[in-house]
Amino acid sequence: MSSALLQVRDLTVSVGRGERRYVAVRDVGFEVPAGGSLGVVGESGSGKSLTLRALMALLPRGVRAERGVVELAGEALPFTGPGARRARRGRLAMVFQDPLSGLDPVYTVGTQVAEVPRRVLGASAAASRRRAVELLRMVGMPDPEQRAHAFPHQLSGGMRQRVLIAMALASEPKVLLCDEPTTALDVTVQAQVLELLDDLRRRLGVAVVFVSHDLAVVRQVADELAVMYTGRVVETGPATEVLGHPAHPYTLGLLEAVVDLDDTAHAPQAIPGALPDLAHVPSGCPFHPRCRFASDDCALSDPGFRYLGDGDADRGTACKYPERVMAG
Amino acid sequence: MNPRPGPQLHEVVPPLNQFAATPARLPERERPAVPLLAAENLCVSFPAGKGQWLTAVEDVSLTVSEGETLGIVGESGCGKSTVARCLAGLLRPGSGTVSLRGELLGARRTREQHRAVQLVFQDPYSSLNPRLSVRSVLSELLVFHGLAQGEALERRCQELMALVGLPADALDGYPSSFSGGQRQRIAIARALAVEPQVVVADEPISSLDVSVQAAILALFADLRDRLGIGMVLISHNLAVVRNICDRAAVMYLGRVVEVGEREEIFTDPRHPYTRALLAAAPRLRPGPDRVEARLRGEPPSPTARPSGCAFHPRCPRAEPVCATERPELLPAPAGSSRLAACHFRDEKG
Repeated sequence: MSSALLQVRDLTVSVGRGERRYVAVRDVGFEVPAGGSLGVVGESGSGKSLTLRALMALLPRGVRAERGVVELAGEALPFTGPGARRARRGRLAMVFQDPLSGLDPVYTVGTQVAEVPRRVLGASAAASRRRAVELLRMVGMPDPEQRAHAFPHQLSGGMRQRVLIAMALASEPKVLLCDEPTTALDVTVQAQVLELLDDLRRRLGVAVVFVSHDLAVVRQVADELAVMYTGRVVETGPATEVLGHPAHPYTLGLLEAVVDLDDTAHAPQAIPGALPDLAHVPSGCPFHPRCRFASDDCALSDPGFRYLGDGDADRGTACKYPERVMAG
Repeated sequence: MNPRPGPQLHEVVPPLNQFAATPARLPERERPAVPLLAAENLCVSFPAGKGQWLTAVEDVSLTVSEGETLGIVGESGCGKSTVARCLAGLLRPGSGTVSLRGELLGARRTREQHRAVQLVFQDPYSSLNPRLSVRSVLSELLVFHGLAQGEALERRCQELMALVGLPADALDGYPSSFSGGQRQRIAIARALAVEPQVVVADEPISSLDVSVQAAILALFADLRDRLGIGMVLISHNLAVVRNICDRAAVMYLGRVVEVGEREEIFTDPRHPYTRALLAAAPRLRPGPDRVEARLRGEPPSPTARPSGCAFHPRCPRAEPVCATERPELLPAPAGSSRLAACHFRDEKG
């Protein structure tokens, strides 16, 4: 689709070098339209956080984006070099999981939010200050004029997360990348933050990429889903479709494993086996040792990623036998 | 050593001899009059600097019977972990008592009393000593408590591994060679090694990956049913509590605001906070008739408890009386075993 605001193709990220090098993200691709939201679901080691960091050009030392294209409104963004950050400034912003480590303890939150419009947009000090208060109000901070003078430790977890979202929005980005933004929050506060993200998307047309291990949370914020396993996207499609009729055995397994508040009839079932070590991913389909639908050929060749035909162009799976999975 | 996940629990494990005499899970009506574990009027305060005190737990009374699982839910800072530590004897309550089968557990517990109530922690990465093999962890406990020695020691270690669904060769491993789910199984084996009567688990699955959470939950349910032990499961996750608990207690700012049989709490909550928690919980399927009662604000700090009902500043149902009078924990509806601390507990949600 050409209407996509953010387009990612064949993104591959490797960790380490020489003998110890392994691929942590392999050929990941997705797209998000303006005002759209994509949920990226996966367990630890699925590569979901590294994917986001690669998009932001924030990969840690020793981790490299090997290949792949990230396009924002049709313009390719470099992964490294002095231009990488500049190309993203004011267009891509990220909200991290832990609201305390994203804030500087020695500056007031107002100062930290105001720094963004001043540095990125070149606004005057007074205007930046006003803008900071405005942003804090926009993210639902109670009493923003007073709270702008507070230091991070004086705020609760939910309020710190709001400050981080305000900082991310301060550069007026087109795309907001969220890495488990509500994991550290209580449920009632989590509900408020999810509502805020939804509201921002509708009011400002910001595209949201939301990474989480929690299917129920992702269902609430995402229109589209990408399910990741061992660094690959194994299933994509509209959230209701993917969660309603999974076409990859891993998605089905996750759904069966989730402890569902509304379903007391079925006990949750763990996926047999364990998450593989990324340095020793099984051959063929990486999920085949844990898959109850697997045939012999699943261990032999990579299934590749293909789109399911039936009129639903963006419904895709990396399974050779999606019909078996969909039949249960 | 290649630690593979063990075979499915229900396929392998013969019941342990030590537990064979313990009654299996008691049906609803036959629960004995003297509860297995009872906490009465627990109060805990911590010094919060500048001469201030933080009341973490206030007037909490709870009971657990044999073969029963009590769930305690609440948000961070509501005092649920503090209650767990009091039950397990790791923390001395400022006032109030904990008793086991009617016998008061004093300020300093005896070795036997410590054995009776065991705790499983949230994070199996920090609760296991990285320098001790699984065998040394278990043998040390068994020898210290005089439960096994010599040949029996090795046999008992292997039984414990089977009980929690790990292969016997896992005994030679160190914590670093296991995954999160396997480590939590080891932590559970450690708690069970001393043949406790009650296991208190504080957020036992929240640091695990989704695909293994279900296995650990199933292990808890299976152990409870097979060994007839009482369990207290502390969680912020309502789904987990609904999934394996028989009864549930909801805590807010150090107090129990509602307690009762599981389905009563989940299908007909009588405290507005319970309703709000249920409404805020993320769901896999959109609910057809769910009322969106979104809460404003966040839990206040325990150092500055609101007057009257502590929930009133956030409560959609609050009336002037709520700010002045603290509601008692009373049967709702009258005569029921379920208790709620709300002036309007007789209203249906």
